[in-house]
Formats: sequence, structure tokens, C-alpha cells
Amino acid sequence: MGREKISVGRTGEDIAFKYLRKRGYGIMHVNYRTPFGEIDAVAKHKGWLVFVEVKTRTSASFGPPSLAVTPIKQRHIIKSAYAFLKMRRLFDIDWRIDVVSVMLNSAGGPQSIELIENAVEDIY
Amino acid sequence: MIAKVYSSCVIGINPTEVVVEADISPGLPAFNIVGLPDTAVKESRDRVKAAIKNSGFSFPLKRITVNMAPAGVKKEGAAFDLPMALAILSCEELLKTDKLDSFTFLGELSLDGKLKPVRGALPVAIGLKNFGRNRLLVPKENAREAAVVKEVEIFSAQSLRDVVDFINGKADLKRELSDPERILSRNSRYRIDFNDVKGQEHVKRGLEVAAAGGHNVLLVGPPGSGKSMLAKRLPTILSEITMDESLETSKIHSVAGLLPPNKGLVGTRPFRAPHHTISDAALVGGGISPMPGEISLAHNGVLFLDELPEFKRNVLEVLRQPLEDGSITISRVSCTLTYPAKFMLVGAMNPCPCGHFTDPKRECHCSPIQIQHYLSKISGPLLDRIDIHLEVPRLKYEDLTDKRRGEFSEKIRERVNKARSLQKERYRSEVMLFNAHLEPREMEKYCGMDRESEELLKLAILELGISARAYDKILKVSRTIADLDGKNTIEAHHISEAISYRSLDRNLWG
Repeated sequence: MGREKISVGRTGEDIAFKYLRKRGYGIMHVNYRTPFGEIDAVAKHKGWLVFVEVKTRTSASFGPPSLAVTPIKQRHIIKSAYAFLKMRRLFDIDWRIDVVSVMLNSAGGPQSIELIENAVEDIY
Repeated sequence: MIAKVYSSCVIGINPTEVVVEADISPGLPAFNIVGLPDTAVKESRDRVKAAIKNSGFSFPLKRITVNMAPAGVKKEGAAFDLPMALAILSCEELLKTDKLDSFTFLGELSLDGKLKPVRGALPVAIGLKNFGRNRLLVPKENAREAAVVKEVEIFSAQSLRDVVDFINGKADLKRELSDPERILSRNSRYRIDFNDVKGQEHVKRGLEVAAAGGHNVLLVGPPGSGKSMLAKRLPTILSEITMDESLETSKIHSVAGLLPPNKGLVGTRPFRAPHHTISDAALVGGGISPMPGEISLAHNGVLFLDELPEFKRNVLEVLRQPLEDGSITISRVSCTLTYPAKFMLVGAMNPCPCGHFTDPKRECHCSPIQIQHYLSKISGPLLDRIDIHLEVPRLKYEDLTDKRRGEFSEKIRERVNKARSLQKERYRSEVMLFNAHLEPREMEKYCGMDRESEELLKLAILELGISARAYDKILKVSRTIADLDGKNTIEAHHISEAISYRSLDRNLWG
């Protein structure tokens, strides 16, 4: 069961990355590890540095995939992003967090792909 | 990059300058507002964002920090929406700076970018003079109110887009011009008149005396005898509100959100009649974010408390300070506010719980203890501030059907004005204005009686058992009656009339 889940996620990621490249995102890192968690993709898009989180679902019964990016998850992504920026000493650049939401059909192919730009904002 | 936009807010009814600053930095998009915003201001985030987007601009995806200085003053209300939006747009270098710097801005924004009216535009306009600023931009509905301040240029707009185009010189906005005196006189017509009331000549005379000297009144009578009707018409015989008084009162009404759009100034003396279930905060002012209470809304006018014994005792207690000082001070942890509250108090009550104690036609069903309990609800100190008691009897059948009518308010007001000018002249070097405010020491100086009246007063004290407190009141009211009579020295018939206004001392409070 665990292995199935991992492969669903991987399938979703592959689909998402292909989609992003088509949309003009230059993917620089994939599954980048930081002390705070993993960033699915770090990409460049029109001068922005974009941290991408991919969420995949096979059925809609638990809601749209984007809803899986809970506030806790959002905080992790933000922390990971800051860790990345600090390590590269990138202090003064424009960056944001996008979410790609992938719904798989029964054959394992993409049923729908949704890209949400600037999905996570900072509230302090 | 930092941008600054000038705005203003009102603490109590006093305006204070607020500078709205915006800073935009690269980083994870965020939009934060600091400077002690209250909930409405915190919600500005969503309004400003939507308004900017829907006005044809793109909202910057950056770290935006908006500060409202001074940071220690609590900011309330949505009037800062417009300055915030302008500050953000200015940061994005979308605005020319000359008009942006010379104007002060106020306005709530709706999601589609339209400007919505705010409270307190009038006190803000008045305050601008003191801050050395002379141009104000407000939502259209607030223009007339603010324009009575001639020293400030008032412009109005209907949307964020219009304001931006105006600032960048691409479009013009309407400058609101005003003739405050004309507005005042246009707003000074009453729809009611003393002439509306049939009979009750004795009560009308009593109210005339009260109006002339600024004395507080208590009306006692059975239900339906016309107490409310008479009280409501008291403002029509008070002297016309002056421009200064109107500005003061209009400021308070503006802050309370009671100045209707396009009205400009309050032209008639306010008449406030709160229900007896009112809370103390609503009566004198206060609440979590302090607002003026009924007594301040009645400033320069009349506060009518109908069914006086039904008011909660603690609520009546808080009336003491304002009746004494003409103002109310409300203390909070963050600040202390003082609102003006100079008003004439008119109370009305039944003589007993069933209302028919003094009624010759109906029988009273109350026991003496019930009556005692009912009357004792009004505290001594409050009664102490009431100079004139008027019995309002049930209207006789002849009066109801009498075709003849009493005097028009205008006629009565002429006499009241004459008496008031005498007082103004007499007290021009003193701190108080009217006979009602005389202190015992001043009474000696100004209430000279002839020998006949002195004798009469002495007799009254001995025979009727009039207390020292009642004596002072009789003297003050006699002074007013003499003024109405155009006499400098108080004569015996003035005293006897004044004594008649204390009849309730004996009848009810034994």
C-alpha cells in the first residue's frame, strides 16, 4: 500500500513537471531537501523564483488536491523556501510559492491539472 | 521604496493627523498592516487589494507593509482604505507626488473600487487648519459636511480610479464650495410648533421660563396628558443655534454617523429622547471603542427622559458629572476622552405607578408604599439639578375642542431671546451664561429683590417649609421670570410664580 502511494505521488510529479516546462518554467531542482522538509520543485518563471508544491489525487472524494496544502504544510513550505534562499544567499529577489494540483484518472494518466500561482502568502 | 500619504482620524471628537506609509520589498508576497489597527482597519487588506485590482491596476506580488503613524494611537474605521491604496500605488511609482503630498485623504473602498462615505469628515476638516494642511479629498457624500470649513479646499470623488486620474493630472474633480450661513438658516426650520398643543397654557409658560433661563424641567402628569408632545417642542422656543454651537454639535453628530450626507450642518437644536431601557454607556458615551452618548448628541439642545423613574438607577447616576460640568470624561486604559455635553434636561413622569394619583377624574389604585417606592427611584442629587416642576394635567374637554390656538413658537422665542440677551449682558464678565448656572455667591450679587419679595420669600420658607435647596432654585427662577418681565430687581409676583414651580416638593415628596 505504501509503495502504491509513493508511485501515485511520483506519477503526479512527473505529470506536473512536464506541465510546468510547457508553461515556461525552467525547473532547476527537483525534490530538493532542506532541514524543514522537501520542496517538490524549484523553478524560474519570468524572472521569479518559484517553489512548487505538487499534490496528486486519484479520486475527488477527499476534495480537490489543492486543499491538501494545509496551513501546517504551508508553513513547512515557507520554512523550506527560506532555508533554500538562505543557503544560496538570495536575499533580495522576487519569489513565490505555486501549487500544482493533479487529478489522475483510473488509467494513471492526467485527468486534470491546475496551476495556482502565488498559492501561499505570508501572514505574520 | 517607501511612500507616504496623509490622512486623519478622530479621537473622541478631536482630530489627529495620521500618516499612512507603505513599504514594498521583494520576497514572499505578504500584505500586512501595522499601527494599532482595529478590526475594520485589518479588513482593509482585502478591500484595498480588490479595489486596486478592480480599478485596472495590478496588485504587487511583493512584501507590502503598511504603517499608520503615530503607531501608538488606535486606528478605527475604514476611512484609511483610500490612503492605503494610494500609498501602495505610489510605491509602485504610479502616482505623481505633488498633489499626493498636498492633499489629506479619507475614504472607505468597496471591492469594486468605489469610494464610500466615512464618519468624522467635519472634525477632520476643522483639524486640518491646525495641522497646517489645507486640502482634503473625501467621498462625495462627505463633501458638503466638510466644506463648511472655508479655510480648507474640499474635493470629492466617487472611485479610486477617479482619485488616481486626478492626482496624475488626467482628470478633474469637483471642488465643493459652501455657504455655511445659508446652510445653517436652511436647516433651521422646525416641522413642529408650540401652536400644535391645545391648552396647557400654564405648562407652556413654565417651559418658556425654563427656556429663557436654561433651567431643567420635570413634567409630572397622568398618561396622555401631552408631556412628550410639549417636551418635543421645547427646542422651537430656544434661541436659534449659533454657528459655533452648530459646528460643535455637527462635529459630534458626524463622529456618531448621524450627519446625513448632503446635510452639512445641524441647524436645529438637537432633541434626544432615549428609551428608558438605555444603558449607561449609550446614555453618556463609552463602549469598547468610545462613542459619544445621548447626552453629547444632545449638546446645545434638549435631553428628554420620558418615564424618568423607569430608568436604571445607575444610569441616572452617571448624569451627575455632565449636569454639573457640561462635559463627560470617559477613561480607558489607552486614553481619556472628554466629550462636550451641555444640554437642557427635561424629565417626564407619572405621579404614581398607575399614573392617576393627581388626576381628579380617575382613581389611583396605588398604595402609599408603592407611590413612595416609585418616587424614590429618582435620586436626590438628580432632583437637585431640576429647577422647575410642572404639573401637566389631563386635558379638559373644552380645551380639546377649543378652536382657538396658543401662540406660535416664534412669538415665544422672541421673549426668550430678549431674556437671554439680558443674561448675556449681565454675565459677560462671568464664566456662566444663564441664570440656571448661578452659584449661591453669584446669586447674592445678581438676584436683588425688593422688600416685598423678600417678605414673601421669608413667609414661604416659614409657612411652606421650603428647604435651603429649594430656596436657591426659587431665587434663580425668579431671576429668569424678572428677566422675562424686563425688570432688573426681582419683585413679589416673580417670586410667587417661581414658588408655584416647586409645588411638587410638597405634593409628592411631602
